[in-house]
Amino acid sequence: MRLRIGLLAAGAVTALWGVWELIRAVDLPALVRLPLWLGGAVVADDFVIVPLTVGIGWLVTRWSAGPGRHRTVGVVRTTLLYVGITSLIALPLLLRQGTGANPTVLPRDYLRDWLLLEATIVAVGYLCLMFRRSRASSGDIGGR
Amino acid sequence: MKLRSEGFVITIRKWATAPGSVLHELLVVTAFCAFTALLTWPYVNYLRDVVVDKGDPYLVSWILWWDFHQTFTNPLHLFDANVFYPYRYSLAFSEHCYGIAILGFPLFALGLRPLTVHAIELFIGFVNTLQWYPWPFPFRQTHYALAWIIVGALLVHLAVKLPLIRANWRRTPEPAPESLPAETTGLTRRGLFRTVAGAATLVGIASVGQSAPAFGPVAVLAPRKPNVGPQGLPVNRTAEAAGVTGIDADWRFTIVGPRQLSYTLEELRALPQSRSDLPIACVEGWSQGARWEGVRMRDLLAAAGAAPNSRVRVVSMEKGGFYATSELPEEFAADPLTLLALRLNGAELALDHGFPARIIAPNRPGVLQTKWVHSLEVMT
Repeated sequence: MRLRIGLLAAGAVTALWGVWELIRAVDLPALVRLPLWLGGAVVADDFVIVPLTVGIGWLVTRWSAGPGRHRTVGVVRTTLLYVGITSLIALPLLLRQGTGANPTVLPRDYLRDWLLLEATIVAVGYLCLMFRRSRASSGDIGGR
Repeated sequence: MKLRSEGFVITIRKWATAPGSVLHELLVVTAFCAFTALLTWPYVNYLRDVVVDKGDPYLVSWILWWDFHQTFTNPLHLFDANVFYPYRYSLAFSEHCYGIAILGFPLFALGLRPLTVHAIELFIGFVNTLQWYPWPFPFRQTHYALAWIIVGALLVHLAVKLPLIRANWRRTPEPAPESLPAETTGLTRRGLFRTVAGAATLVGIASVGQSAPAFGPVAVLAPRKPNVGPQGLPVNRTAEAAGVTGIDADWRFTIVGPRQLSYTLEELRALPQSRSDLPIACVEGWSQGARWEGVRMRDLLAAAGAAPNSRVRVVSMEKGGFYATSELPEEFAADPLTLLALRLNGAELALDHGFPARIIAPNRPGVLQTKWVHSLEVMT
């Protein structure tokens, strides 16, 4: 019990010191925007990215239960991951396209490049899938 | 209690002897260092005898050496640094750097010099150089304050959950349920490692082109293209943003030093010109090499009667901003590569690149390569 009270007091003092630092360092409009920013990160993670990945993961796993799919599920999963990570990184570039501080910032046609990149990833993934399937159907029964 | 500590030992042993685990760590570190060497080229060639600055590196090199020396000769007096003799514990009131010093102990034991050890540690620490500030609040101060809040919140959390934590550590462990075999799920530890490495490689190839021109065409995830911009060089702050519109006919470049000098642009062009091949390397993560022509800084200092290794304040025509003036430390002013550049890639400087004159020096962040320079002040 004494340990709990000690931890509680130390934690409260530390956090209050942080709040004090925050009030001293940050002006009022920024203090108002700060929770929006921090909350936005939580919302984007917990209510967009996580449900999306869990949902897609669930679908892929369900799909992989079909006959013979255990050979190809790896390729599908990897392709989806690559598409996801590159799209996530491309998102700010796509949103800010054409609004760079000067013409040398964000100089590409990011929409075209993003579509080309995703098409390449999907095409390579599809080729790998075909390769796996053909190898599986050419008498490689049950083997890896 | 006994059971738990035995489990712990077994876990440690498993971890240490797991096939390839140490190898993986080594691979990661090696790849990281290789990329660092590439991105900070040619710094890695001069680790033995180059310091990037005269103050801190010497102090920290000495502290690292002191930590090593004292640990193995008189560890109880670690903080009684010799520089403040006879006062005791002096190092405890300063930066004792013991954490990074321990990392350097093997290097000292191998006989490396303190400067070398310091340079290697600095070199390993080159991370997070990509700066982008989309945050609607002051980044550094806010993070500092939030760190306190998070630590406090963690302590409160521990206080609230303590009974649960205790109960968990006291219960007898149940056997972990068998997970589905990899043959069914297609999920393996090695596969996960491969996939993550593949994703990192893909993202790397698609973005490294903003500082490695060879990858420029495929840098589809990079916010910059190294050869896009006036005269084939990107711009961070344009003349318009800096409030610079060009120069009048009576424009003069001045040097304030032991001798006061004043040049017209024509007179600057008539001085002996030198050439430097130097990059603009931005802290935001892009860089691009270029060919600069102009007057050597040390020649200008000599003409003004100043020592070649003087510190110089560079004053720009830029309106406002943090970088309207910059300071050129002595080793940069004395460097034969440092120019007051008038020409870029074979043509007169574009207004966005600092017409009529800008500073270009080796190994400086782009933001300190001051543009639109109209006077130099020799500092003593």
